Amino acid sequence: MTDFLTLIVQQSVNGVYLGCLYVMVALGLTLIYGVLNQINFAHADFVTVGAFTAFFTATRFATKALGMPDTGAYLLSLFAALGAGALLGWLVSVAVFAPLRRSGADELRPLIATIGVSVLLENGQLALFGPIPYQFDSPLARQTIRVGSIFFSAQSALVVVVSVAAIAALYAFMRFTFMGKALRAVAQDRETAGLMGINESLVIALTIVIASALAGVAGALLGPVVVLTPFTGASLIVKAFACVIIGGFGNMEGTIIAGLLVGIIEAFTVQYLGSGLIDLVVFAMLLLMLVIRPTGLIAERKEENV
Amino acid sequence: MTGGSTRRRGIAFLVAVVAVAAAPWLLGTGYWRGILVLCAMNVLLALSLNLVMGYTGQLNLGQSAFFGIGAYVSTILIKTYGWNFWLAAGAAVAAAGLVGVALAAFAVRLRGHYLAIASLGFAVITYQVLVNWESVTQGVRGIYGILPPVADTVALFYLVAGLGIVVYFLLDNLVRSPVGDTLRAIREDEVSAAALGVHAAVWKAFAFGLGAAIAGLAGCFYPGFVGTLVPDAFGIVESFTMMAMVIVGGMGTMIGPVIGAVVLTFLPEVLRGFGELRLMIYGVALTLVVLFMPGGIVQAWVSLKNRIA
Amino acid sequence: MGFLEEQNRMSAFLRAERLHKSFGGVRAVHDVSCEVPQGSIFALIGPNGAGKSTLLNLLSGIYQPDSGSLRFKETDLVGLPAHERTRLGIARTFQKIRLFKQLTLIENVLAGFHIHQDVPLWKCFLPGGTGRFRDEAIELLSFVGLESRAKDRAGALPYGQQRMLEIARALATRPKLFMLDEPAAGLNAAEVEFLLQRLENINRKRDVTVVVVEHNMDLVMNLAQRVLVMDHGLRLVEGTPREVQANPRVIEAYLGGEFAAESAT
Repeated sequence: MTDFLTLIVQQSVNGVYLGCLYVMVALGLTLIYGVLNQINFAHADFVTVGAFTAFFTATRFATKALGMPDTGAYLLSLFAALGAGALLGWLVSVAVFAPLRRSGADELRPLIATIGVSVLLENGQLALFGPIPYQFDSPLARQTIRVGSIFFSAQSALVVVVSVAAIAALYAFMRFTFMGKALRAVAQDRETAGLMGINESLVIALTIVIASALAGVAGALLGPVVVLTPFTGASLIVKAFACVIIGGFGNMEGTIIAGLLVGIIEAFTVQYLGSGLIDLVVFAMLLLMLVIRPTGLIAERKEENV
Repeated sequence: MTGGSTRRRGIAFLVAVVAVAAAPWLLGTGYWRGILVLCAMNVLLALSLNLVMGYTGQLNLGQSAFFGIGAYVSTILIKTYGWNFWLAAGAAVAAAGLVGVALAAFAVRLRGHYLAIASLGFAVITYQVLVNWESVTQGVRGIYGILPPVADTVALFYLVAGLGIVVYFLLDNLVRSPVGDTLRAIREDEVSAAALGVHAAVWKAFAFGLGAAIAGLAGCFYPGFVGTLVPDAFGIVESFTMMAMVIVGGMGTMIGPVIGAVVLTFLPEVLRGFGELRLMIYGVALTLVVLFMPGGIVQAWVSLKNRIA
Repeated sequence: MGFLEEQNRMSAFLRAERLHKSFGGVRAVHDVSCEVPQGSIFALIGPNGAGKSTLLNLLSGIYQPDSGSLRFKETDLVGLPAHERTRLGIARTFQKIRLFKQLTLIENVLAGFHIHQDVPLWKCFLPGGTGRFRDEAIELLSFVGLESRAKDRAGALPYGQQRMLEIARALATRPKLFMLDEPAAGLNAAEVEFLLQRLENINRKRDVTVVVVEHNMDLVMNLAQRVLVMDHGLRLVEGTPREVQANPRVIEAYLGGEFAAESAT
């Protein structure tokens, strides 16, 4: 393989693994939007909470208190992060989204309220954990796998495996379980779903919990590969929104494609333009997308019903 | 307007002038006088965002960018090109206003959540430009040794607060004028506004441009007050703090954002604890007010008054 | 012949020719032509989903047609956005009421004077730039019987009065052509009676041409000089109320239901 080609393949591999992380975060936003037509602005901060939960589980609790081996401890921490995300999701669903929905609020009030939650979570964690980055050593991040002249870490392989598994589980849930079908029904037509006896509030709460659990796991996967600070998630929200918009709000397939696309674009931006320009490139793309095709890559344009 | 209401406004104006004049003498230490300057800047920022968000109904998460553009354009013109402060401030206000009109181009096509995210993206891009365009902005290293337009903190406070009163007076008239009717019509229902002949694109551009110019004006005083200029002062969280002031005080009223700015500037100082407290208070206040008091302090006050009466 | 045709074209008030509009493959309006004579009351009727509202949205500029031509007096309307059509003298109300709910009644009507405002922008920043249309706004409110509630929030009004307020707000634009989308929907008998009387007043006293989309047959038959019946996006029949009522295709379109029952009484 020529050097150039190797570089292209290597960056694409990096891009896919980044993209998988973005998909995990963005899918949650899109799920909530599909069912509730609302944005949870604090969603990316759930990622940070997931990362810190995993960090303390893996490096303090599991290894020190339980005496588990490193790899086992890290894998356990994924579940702890999932639980933390789910718990936060439930809290925000009960304390913010449900009361605002009952009071018939417009589309912007829940967004503003969750911006408040986001600011609170970020600065609360700053107070707890301080601004100095944490070194989250996953044993998998140190192992390098080589295929031909392409290198990647075991951690990135795990990211891809876990996110593919999570997405597959999500699809299976939506397709084969009653609650999953109810969720899709509510996303498509809330009134009819209500008439069919589907408990809408329960479906909405469940959606937020699932979405937030995904964010928590994403945090546990992300922790070992980034600089872990209270603002790790916040720097991600930018890209997660980009994925959601490019994929089309509420469109799961579109979001998956967009997440991978953003990951790959990021990998190549780092290679050719420098890492300082990532947000600039991604958001320029987002703005362009909003102007050309605000409903996303896949969705059809709907006209407002007057 | 009726005579009574005009007189009430005149009295309120006098009270505001007296309060501003007395404030630096009631809060006599250098520290508190510095907080007063910040408070006056926050009032300008809250007024600017309220015009776009409260009166025109456009959820704009990018207001911090205009604050930053005002700060950087004025400082660079003064430090690099040796301009006089007021000339530089005029250019900075114009620059912020023009960029505001450009952002309105998105607001013309996008509504609600989409506009919120587009404006957020705009703020992120502006921040990234400030960080990356090192030859002009010095990037994260920052610009140092910036002098305020007036040397004394009390004089600076009088200057910024005086501008705040002037801006309040102008906007207060504006929202009572036919232009105010038009902006509120766009906020309430753009389709019916169009059916009444309102060219929403033009008026959104007007509101965004004017709001951006006022935020840019506030930005002109910030670098001289702090003495240094770094991009971090204009991150998206600044947009959120402005939003918190507008919402906590009472969005879509004139006095609400002023109250919100004063309360949220002083509250963290009064409850001074650890460093992150300020933003935590903003976050909690934002969420709680949206949940329990959607009209903010102004609405709470009105309903309290009604209950007593 | 040529001269007569020219004459006819000159005097046409609102003329739509072969309008098409579809949404995602569904034909909402298909090949519809009509002509609204000046000074008339013109009704658009048809079963649900017949394309009446879409046609009205095409006429008022909320939608643009996929093809076809549309002229108001001398002006080609195709491509002209809604807000510019208002300046030509076209006003409308909406099927699903679209008031400025958080604003007071008087503020709703005042917003309607937008295109007639001539205060220079800079004067709006100074005190006392208001008030020019206040009296006229109060007059319009009393025209629809709502002057006593001028300072209430529009959203607090009962349904029927919201419809009347929307009419007052649209009249503030001083239209020459006024289009109403199901103005009687949800009104009680007394309110319908009042609406009927107001529409006749608007038409005769204010010299406004009225286009009304309506389900209420009594209202249409009492009010309109011309009726266009639509079905499945197509123009079915056009004529006087009597002609239309007797047309077997119309009766068929209504499946002998609502319409037949109405005409029998």
